[in-house]
Amino acid sequence: MADASNAPTTSTEQALVIERVFDAPRELVWSAWTEPEHFMSWWGPKGFTCPHCEIDLRVGGKYLNCMRGPAGTDFDKDFWSTGVYREIVPLERIVCTDSFADEKGNVVPATHYGMGADVPLEMLVTVTFEDLAGKTRMTLRHEGLPAGEMSDGASAGWNESFDKLAEVLANP
Amino acid sequence: MPVDQLSTTFAALADPTRRAILARLTSGEASVTELARPFEMTLPAVSKHLKVLERAGLIARGREAQWRPCRLKAGPLKDADDWLERYRRFWEESFDRLDEYLGEIQKRQKKRKKEDKDGRRK
Repeated sequence: MADASNAPTTSTEQALVIERVFDAPRELVWSAWTEPEHFMSWWGPKGFTCPHCEIDLRVGGKYLNCMRGPAGTDFDKDFWSTGVYREIVPLERIVCTDSFADEKGNVVPATHYGMGADVPLEMLVTVTFEDLAGKTRMTLRHEGLPAGEMSDGASAGWNESFDKLAEVLANP
Repeated sequence: MPVDQLSTTFAALADPTRRAILARLTSGEASVTELARPFEMTLPAVSKHLKVLERAGLIARGREAQWRPCRLKAGPLKDADDWLERYRRFWEESFDRLDEYLGEIQKRQKKRKKEDKDGRRK
């Protein structure tokens, strides 16, 4: 994880962590995440488009994105998602919640889009950006938020819990 | 499975006593009395924790015997992996596109700079 390589590295925990090094300056990678016209150019899997993106980049501000699946596939529809920015450190760090939504920005369960009921209603996304002499190391952390524990810092306990259980289950 | 099952699971895991109960259950079934022993807790207090774990789908309680043995269920952990795996694909593919986009945009910027320079020269 610590060494800089161009190959995508991924680690499995109960939070999803993905690290990438992009051959681009940090300012540009930051813009790609925070400016709608940039964000719309890349967000979504292969074959998807992003026809709508609103970003109110301030703590407590919301975003509302639409992702459109490829025509003629099971994903040939609009998937809206929304979230609230919890923390913004320019060029360094973005922390926001992440939920499925309708086109008005109301939070809906993943089942609204025919996805599994196992997807948490609200998730937490943390993106960090690190300057590597002109390149940028970006780390994404995507994790569920426990119900009733939505206060800041709750995710630490959540991960700790799961680490412990994983350990326990691995050593019967 | 209810929509917020996974959240329920994680909330259940947030408590040290409940984690200790799960740890105890990895060595086999146990009764409420057996589970209560190391915690110096009353039986109703332990029963409360067991109810939370049961609702979260982390344990099952036998109906067959009167002492209703508790045992571990690993299902919810697997569910967590499934949705994480879907998101992994989502992000990895998005980042492939981001990588391409960053390349393109830098090429465009360079070209524009060069054109500006050439324009000024003329």
